[in-house]
Amino acid sequence: MLPSGIHFKNHAEELRLLRTGPQRIGFALLLLALAAFPFVANTYLIGLAITVAITVIAVAGLQVTVGMAGLLNLGQSAFVGVGAFTAAALYAHYDVPMLLAIPLAGLAAGAVSIVFSLPAIRIRGLYLALTTIAAQVVFPIVVLRLPTGWFGGSAGIGIDRVQAFGIALETPAAFYGVAVCVMIVMLLIGFNLQRSHVGLAFRAIRDNDIASSVLGVELGKYKIMAFFAGAVFAGVAGGLYAFYIRYVTTDQFTIWLSIWYLGMLIVGGLGGPLGAILGTFAVTVLQEAIHWGGNRAMGAMPQISGGIIFSVTNIVLGAAIITMLIREPHGLAHRWNVLKSAYRIWPYPRA
Amino acid sequence: MHRSIQSKLGGMLAAGAFILLSATAPSARAQTNYNVSISLDYSGPFAAVMDSWYGGQQSVFDWWNETRGKTLGVKLNVKTYDMRYDASQVARTWPQLLADDKPIVFLGMGTPDLVSLMKRLPADKVPMIMGTAMVAPLWTANGWHFSFRPTYSQEFAGLFSYLQSRLPEKRALRIGTLSTQGIPGYVDQVAGVVKLAQTYPDRFVIANSQWVDNTPINVTSQVRDMLATKPDLVLVGTNTAQVVATVKALKELGAKVPVVTSSHNGLTEVAKAVPMADLEGSYSVFGFAPSVDPSVTAAQIFEKYNKTKGTWGLTAAQTSAQALLATAAIERAIATVGPTKLTGQAVYDALEGPAFGPEHFQGLLKSVQFTKEAPFPTTNLSVKALTVKDGKFVAVSNDWMPVPELAKW
Repeated sequence: MLPSGIHFKNHAEELRLLRTGPQRIGFALLLLALAAFPFVANTYLIGLAITVAITVIAVAGLQVTVGMAGLLNLGQSAFVGVGAFTAAALYAHYDVPMLLAIPLAGLAAGAVSIVFSLPAIRIRGLYLALTTIAAQVVFPIVVLRLPTGWFGGSAGIGIDRVQAFGIALETPAAFYGVAVCVMIVMLLIGFNLQRSHVGLAFRAIRDNDIASSVLGVELGKYKIMAFFAGAVFAGVAGGLYAFYIRYVTTDQFTIWLSIWYLGMLIVGGLGGPLGAILGTFAVTVLQEAIHWGGNRAMGAMPQISGGIIFSVTNIVLGAAIITMLIREPHGLAHRWNVLKSAYRIWPYPRA
Repeated sequence: MHRSIQSKLGGMLAAGAFILLSATAPSARAQTNYNVSISLDYSGPFAAVMDSWYGGQQSVFDWWNETRGKTLGVKLNVKTYDMRYDASQVARTWPQLLADDKPIVFLGMGTPDLVSLMKRLPADKVPMIMGTAMVAPLWTANGWHFSFRPTYSQEFAGLFSYLQSRLPEKRALRIGTLSTQGIPGYVDQVAGVVKLAQTYPDRFVIANSQWVDNTPINVTSQVRDMLATKPDLVLVGTNTAQVVATVKALKELGAKVPVVTSSHNGLTEVAKAVPMADLEGSYSVFGFAPSVDPSVTAAQIFEKYNKTKGTWGLTAAQTSAQALLATAAIERAIATVGPTKLTGQAVYDALEGPAFGPEHFQGLLKSVQFTKEAPFPTTNLSVKALTVKDGKFVAVSNDWMPVPELAKW
């Protein structure tokens, strides 16, 4: 719902992502806050922000495949891993610049995803999810069996020094800048994909794939494109991750990570990239709160063991997912939209 | 007058005695404080063992501060960090840790610390000491990460060599391996044992290798296939779940074949899930003395100085050895640069120096010698092992078992 008094004079105005003045001001303030963050936060929080940025990209990719196209994907972490290993190998073995290695990593993950998206032409739902689990299972085995000169085998790949444009990204603040910029670019792509004719095709397939094929949407082509697009996001996230951690091994990309990504998306909302942002942020805050509170509780009550905190973290995530599915199945993004529309028509009640 | 002269003389004598005693009494030496940072996991997958884990380290550092530290004029302040066994957590905690603590040594916990810090430590000039065994992919030169334990495969080799030499007939020891594909460390363990068999074909042969899920519910069919090849033992160096599944499968099949484990998935942990009778004759092998070994005097240090809820056992013994290596390196660094000029570089140089003899390790280690070629000792290796005999944990041998030479694989 648009605020009262907002009328578009032409199609270009209607296509804008930021349609109103307050939205533009709000976005500018957000950018300002993001730019100012490293100057006011400590290095731990900056590191946390970097991790959140990387995760937002991966979850935004999952939103494309699962939310936009309705194709259940439980192998997103494997595609993140493909991106990570590709970026690390390109940088460490071939001196490919970091800012070129990351998009190439995305493309590599997208290419690999095509193999696992082929079954999507014929199957869907839980059966499709099983084939994506296959990606998760196959990924580490393949990496370990490939020649060690390619991806390091069981040793993994290390990155000695990270730099972009000759500037060493040695401090968290420096890397934060790169991570946030990449995140903004990928989110812009996600928002625009949603509004494009490709995004329309994805949503048509999600709503009713048979009806959409009757209407002329090429199911096979667009399903593969949905996987490809989602995996490109994952590959970019993996590339960033590789440069941040500076060492990649296969056991960093497990099915549990894929499940966390899906959980974040469910909490945030499957409807759009905003769901990826809100879900990642909410779950991360929840995790940190549990660890912070748990450590304090352990200090105050010695009978509490740390094992409980680890279990509670997983229980709380599961509870959060169930709660959202029951109370707010469209996620935090929907709740945000409800609040926004209520604000816009205030003091009139919502219908 | 006579009395006043006497009392004055007495007072002068007393004052003189006091001055003499004061001059000869050992003076309280001014101490320089340094930070030692430790990676722990209070809220991740290994949280349940953290009390014993940290207890081993904390007791050693408190003991050292109270005894040697006071003499040398150095006090080690221990700072702990909950890294949640997560590489991302290590990566985002490290910059602040480095800036705030300026540690002279960092005690790592496991793979997340290695993965996140291996490439940063040379620039940050902080040596990291691990307490876990290593894997061949980490067999790299000029690193700033160290472990007093060699690779898992080399530790297993030490026990295999001991057992092979005690076979009733002169033949190769038949080794069955049970592991998981897709996890680099686990795959490497088997690769190392295969290399052992290739290097000493008359002494060791791989009877069979089975690959199972990481946390299997049942491995009976795989174990049945393995038993057909008549292994003398089954190596399960992965995790407790696999050891438990293997022990249950062997019992189900009525087979009396010993299982060989490491320290992290050792018999003491497995015994919480299966009856001791089912573990009779099985082994845990590692590059340090088991906690039940009577020659381990570190147990007394733990007994006296431990402030955690942890108990003395395999975990505490492992981390005590880790902390003792750190203190040995610090002592050597003090001898080189002095107590007021300790740095991470000085501790690193000390670690790369001559071998640390057994006198540093309270019976836990034989000796430790690092070279620039590897982050762990590669020569004159020896191990000890634990077994279950008559329902009790006992040391396999009071003597150290030498490890056969094994080239990098």
